Amino acid sequence: MMQAKNAVAVVGAGNSRFGDRIDANLSDLFSEAFVEALDSVDKGLDPREIGEFFIGSLSSSGEQIGLSASLLAEYVGKRGAPAMRVEAACASGGYALRAGIMSIIAGANDVVVVGGVEKMRDVSGPQARLWLGVSSDTRWERWHGLTFPGIFALQATRHMYEYGTTREQLAYIAVKNHSNGAENPKAHFRRKITVETVLNSPFVAYPLTLFDCCPTSDGAAVAILCRADIAKNFTDTPIYVSGFGAATDCVAAFDRESLTRFDSAVIASRQAYKMAGLEPKDIDLVELHDCFTISELVLTEDLGFCEKGEGGRFIEEGNTQIGGKVAVNPSGGLKAKGHPIGATGVGQVYEIFHQLRGDVEKRSRQVPGAEVGMAHIQGGFGVAATVHIFTRG
Amino acid sequence: MAYISVPEIQRTLPQRYRLVGLKCKKCGYLHFPARKVCKNCGAVEEFEEVKLSGRGKVYSYTVIEQGATVYEHTEEAAVGGAFSVALVELEEGVRVMGQITECDPYSVRVGMEVEAVLRRMYEQDIVRYSFKFRPIRFQGRAERP
Repeated sequence: MMQAKNAVAVVGAGNSRFGDRIDANLSDLFSEAFVEALDSVDKGLDPREIGEFFIGSLSSSGEQIGLSASLLAEYVGKRGAPAMRVEAACASGGYALRAGIMSIIAGANDVVVVGGVEKMRDVSGPQARLWLGVSSDTRWERWHGLTFPGIFALQATRHMYEYGTTREQLAYIAVKNHSNGAENPKAHFRRKITVETVLNSPFVAYPLTLFDCCPTSDGAAVAILCRADIAKNFTDTPIYVSGFGAATDCVAAFDRESLTRFDSAVIASRQAYKMAGLEPKDIDLVELHDCFTISELVLTEDLGFCEKGEGGRFIEEGNTQIGGKVAVNPSGGLKAKGHPIGATGVGQVYEIFHQLRGDVEKRSRQVPGAEVGMAHIQGGFGVAATVHIFTRG
Repeated sequence: MAYISVPEIQRTLPQRYRLVGLKCKKCGYLHFPARKVCKNCGAVEEFEEVKLSGRGKVYSYTVIEQGATVYEHTEEAAVGGAFSVALVELEEGVRVMGQITECDPYSVRVGMEVEAVLRRMYEQDIVRYSFKFRPIRFQGRAERP
């Protein structure tokens, strides 16, 4: 069997601007990311070499739920190529990436496009509130009026009760991610905020305020993957997929043993660390799923960067800033870069691709000497997670 | 789009109205809501019905603000204001999600003792009734001060 570690390389990546994209429809957004990804391949890539398209999307606009991947492949000039939509709620992009990697390891493809796209801002308020929360338990949780932020609020309340975590510590995460996002030209929000901004904004689901939550965004991202042994045909500086893992958990929160731990992240990251032969201390930067501030705090613990219950203090001490022990969400994360559901997981690869090549467009956002990057993404309340570890060639 | 159909409510009325759970005859594991396969030992459809006491303690809670409800609960919040949703650990050990009623939503605390009551919730095709929880104000035990 072919060895999975370092069998696949990333040779190009594109990321549309995230945010309110009144100017672009689903296909336009994808095309924007696709063109940038092709242009980013240093030695050029003939689109005829692309074997297959794996597209992460929840299709939350409801506009083209069936066959959106076929639509997009044809739109960028690849009529005839196999294409499929991959769905795992917010982790759709992560699972599309996993599917693309698998297809190369299986020997079915030499070069693939992994993409993600979502058009969320065109839908009306009531329509959005019908759509949001579709990835949590509908029959026994949403039934009682529990919203998606509400589930994470239950996690925050319990984390505060068990470990003494404070609202200020959560607010600090939003401040850090907005600060990183302010330096990212692709980000939805490019404005710095203060702890007071977060604490004084209205509650959405106590103890979470509006500024503890990520936005809904329009956007797309694309990564071009190939067999590692042909990567140098396309660039002298590919990055390699050194380890990966994936796991799922109960959809309903009431079925969980613990509210303050994401088992899917624990399991998926341990698989990825083992394959890569690396430990948490080896990770220079991580793009992780901060749909709400509490999620970043819990994941900082569960991915192994600090002990369980220590997340609040670890973050408050500045360990997760750019230049700290591990840069967490240098792109601004879901919180500030934005969260176009299916695109988010692939957008993380775009960020890591440039961070590891040392060519982030703004030096203020460059993680110094970055050699190892991790991408973690999850759908729902930590229900479906993927973790990928990338290293510089 | 999230939607709970009328037939689905019909299928689960004993659970939604009376908190009827299923106990595995093989291993004794208690399930709420019902399942076809035991979560603990894998036994298939070997359950007996158990009516849960409805008494328990708040394991965690949140307050859903008026302007931030899911679509179908908009009117409920418009009339009644912000409401608390809690994960309640029942005496029998199972955890159940439910609204906390008959108190200021911001007065709910982890560990608060609650009991189940049947209440009107929201309207979508039909009126949707469900159990909610309310604080046990008067403990009614002689030994307590």
